[in-house]
Amino acid sequence: MSSTNTGEAIAPTQKTIIITRFDPDKDEVPRKQEYSVPCEDNWKVLDAVNFIKDELDATVSHRWSCRMAVCGSCGMMVNGEPKLTCKTSLKEYGDRVDIEPLANFPIVRDLVVELDGFMHKFEAVKPWIKRAKEKAEDKAALHDTKLTFSQSAEELGNFKQFSMCINCMLCYSACPVVANEPDFLGPAAIALGHRYNMDSRDEGNAERNEIFRGEGTVFSCSFANECSEVCPKNVDPAAAVNQAKFEAVIDWAKGLVLPSPSSGGSN
Amino acid sequence: MEITRHDIVIVGGGGAGLRAAIEAAENNPTASIALVSKVYPMRSHTVSAEGGAAAVAREDDNLELHGFDTVKGSDFLGDQDAIQYFVQEAPKELALLENWGCPFSRNEDGSVATRAFGGMTTKRTWYATDKIGFHMLHALFQQSMRYKNIVRYDEFFVSKLLVDGGVCRGVAALDIRTGEYEAIVGRAVILTTGGGGKIFPFTTNGTIKTGDGMALAYRAGVPLKDMEFVQYHPTGLPGTGILITEATRGEGGYLRNSKGERFLVDYDYGVGNKAELGPRDMISRAIVQEIEAGRGLSGPYGDYVHLDLTHLGADTINAKLPFVRELAKTYVGVDPVTDPIPIRPVVHYMMGGVDTDIHGATEMPGLYAAGETACVSINGANRLGSNSLTECLVFGAAAARHAMEFSQGSSNGSDAALLAQVEEEAGRVENLRGRKKGGEKISEIRRELNAVMESGYGVYRQQDTMQSGVGAVAQLRGRVADLRLEDDSKVFNTELITALELANMVEVAEALAVSAAHRKESRGAHTCRDFTTRDDENYLYHTMAYHDPAGPRLGKKDVVLGKWEPEERKY
Amino acid sequence: MAGPAHPHSMAPPKPGRTRAAPPQMPASWWNTSRMRTYLLFDATGIIYLLVGFVAIRMIRALAEGAGAWQAAMQSLENPIYIGFHLLSLISVIFVAVRFFRLFPKAQPPSIGPLKPPPGPVIHAALYAVWIGVTVVMSLALAGVIF
Repeated sequence: MSSTNTGEAIAPTQKTIIITRFDPDKDEVPRKQEYSVPCEDNWKVLDAVNFIKDELDATVSHRWSCRMAVCGSCGMMVNGEPKLTCKTSLKEYGDRVDIEPLANFPIVRDLVVELDGFMHKFEAVKPWIKRAKEKAEDKAALHDTKLTFSQSAEELGNFKQFSMCINCMLCYSACPVVANEPDFLGPAAIALGHRYNMDSRDEGNAERNEIFRGEGTVFSCSFANECSEVCPKNVDPAAAVNQAKFEAVIDWAKGLVLPSPSSGGSN
Repeated sequence: MEITRHDIVIVGGGGAGLRAAIEAAENNPTASIALVSKVYPMRSHTVSAEGGAAAVAREDDNLELHGFDTVKGSDFLGDQDAIQYFVQEAPKELALLENWGCPFSRNEDGSVATRAFGGMTTKRTWYATDKIGFHMLHALFQQSMRYKNIVRYDEFFVSKLLVDGGVCRGVAALDIRTGEYEAIVGRAVILTTGGGGKIFPFTTNGTIKTGDGMALAYRAGVPLKDMEFVQYHPTGLPGTGILITEATRGEGGYLRNSKGERFLVDYDYGVGNKAELGPRDMISRAIVQEIEAGRGLSGPYGDYVHLDLTHLGADTINAKLPFVRELAKTYVGVDPVTDPIPIRPVVHYMMGGVDTDIHGATEMPGLYAAGETACVSINGANRLGSNSLTECLVFGAAAARHAMEFSQGSSNGSDAALLAQVEEEAGRVENLRGRKKGGEKISEIRRELNAVMESGYGVYRQQDTMQSGVGAVAQLRGRVADLRLEDDSKVFNTELITALELANMVEVAEALAVSAAHRKESRGAHTCRDFTTRDDENYLYHTMAYHDPAGPRLGKKDVVLGKWEPEERKY
Repeated sequence: MAGPAHPHSMAPPKPGRTRAAPPQMPASWWNTSRMRTYLLFDATGIIYLLVGFVAIRMIRALAEGAGAWQAAMQSLENPIYIGFHLLSLISVIFVAVRFFRLFPKAQPPSIGPLKPPPGPVIHAALYAVWIGVTVVMSLALAGVIF
């Protein structure tokens, strides 16, 4: 069994943690600051940042919350790789650990990046179940659980994986297309749109496929697969994006031969 | 100073807040709804709930059974009118959540699957493998995006309620990005900020759970109810306190002591194979007793017992508890397929909170609360696992409906009066920012607060430590006024936010400490070594804590009884 | 020190409420193992460009008559050309193998009533077609068939 819970406590190891610092009121451009931190054996990278914040330098700003790899707040670059810092063991790294804000995002302060652009993309894929008529719309008639949809294991399996995204944005930091083409919708947002397209309860495919055929969306992806490599939740956004390419094309081809179906109204 | 007007202002973007926002937006499409949260909504701590959400779904179940299980779980301190409303609304709310895309796990026939949970007589916990909170939060958040009349204020910290003429009319919010205050004004305010588990050192709660909403209402004169009841979840990972869901036992997992025995069988909290499915307060006590009897195991992060899932097999674990497997591997280096998981009881949930009625309304006109922040109370002295997510939905929606109704009949306050309050608050916080003349740093006071809470208000409590805790927390409240802050920057000053949170934590902790010390009986999660039995004659009431500069003042509120008379609580 | 990536990467639709620093790329971004593979993959594009020039040259020679064609064919025997073509072959194999590896996951779970076969079957089919086409073309070029 691991020493993390049963064995003797191990003496801490001193490491140099290098943090990117940026305060728009004081710094023209981001700079680096080094801290010497006594790191415990079972620490995650986040523990070292928290130690700095609590004990060494309270001016360091970063985001974190759940510390169990599900809220998605604490993504940072660790030695050049996008990592969820609460899930990444510090002992995997050497004496010097370079912690930077997520690449490809504007930096608000220190390790805090700007989410506005991401949130905008996130909303652009209309991430909600779209129905011509809501099943539970008539609330007066809603009296029991028969108003739920039926879904087979296979139907659930078609989208479940893509619903596991915690919006940590590591994929945007890893994606070479995002780095070159800032307006690219990007892995997480496309995976989210695709998740709803693949959900048997949803009827919004036509509308989302139209979005996906637009500029800077699925066909901007060069299938580098970097997003899936760094995803801490095995969502495999590259699969979603490339499946979405297929679907968008098939949907377009169908539109050529079949009369166009109504897209189900707005929102 | 910016002032923005809305019909409803919701503070907190977790399960209850998002549900309230959606309900308000649907209820009145022309109304403007502000959703103010100190984090982006998908970071809210609802995200970490694992096991499931309760609502009657099966043929062999009915509302009466769910109601009685909840009343009994609450050790008869839950209000029975609220519980009846809750169990009746629960199936509708979960059906709505399903309609909104939550990927619930399914039976073979395609219907929503349910699993067994502690204290529930039959399978009524709807689940999505072992990540229901995550899926619920994301489904709600994504659903909320379709309503253009929901205006989000992401990463805004609310530090004060605006009260004019005795009516709550909005909030003073610090834009974390800019460091500037804004007046977010509404005709009704709903608090949905979750609990304050971070006053304890060892908790399943994320760092954002600092009791903000409770402190906001409390300081504004609204009482906090039943604050002494703190739920210890039986199964947290040693060291981090990361939650290992009760669903592990619902799916058939065992707790074992150092001799490898299924010790819960001896405690008679369940019958035979259901020994592990007792309510959380009882199982946590059993674990502590086992450890005190010398049958625990010890490690660098304290004594623990084993949660054994190995007999379930890799297929069941992968299909139903994949997140548990991921957490155990990542945070304690144990693969539950082959080895037992070390676990110990951990602070999980606050049964108490802002006193509300069955509609989520507080004593203050215009102020509502829902979710863990609120105490309706359906949870009484001990909450049943999987009732809290449903509670967020049922009472989030109820609060939104009633707040909307109130707002349509209410007038706006005077801008000048509200702005003056925000200016004053901004001035106060401005003085705090980079306050280098102060004495102690945040982490020192927080550590001390954590230590006091842990020693005084654990699974088992006793009068002397609770009394000394009251004094210690009161003293900490004084010291919080003299914090030393290093960061004088305006932009994304997390130190300043942490200081405001710490002040909230101390307020909540003090209400908790005083409420706990006064209740000289053992009921639900409040178990005293010196008063070992439940005392319905003297303590069958809700504790009400009122804010007072000299320290909390206590009052009483009757428990709403009804169909079910208090009886001995045996499983 | 880190260098800037595209200054507008992930920029919000409206400018931020405080000044933000442009995105930073980690100083060693090109030297991580994943990035090296991807850069290599991208770099094969240069080789295809050069192959294109060679093809144009050959077509021109063909248009100019038999003499020019013979001379061009002769020049391909130069070790530099042989080395280049070997490199092209390696590039093509690298890109094909990489694409074949990723291809199964790009398959939607179903297209109408059609479901794609399992990953290993797709892999086997891709390689079988590739090897088959190579064999047929080699035989055709060697004059054995057609």
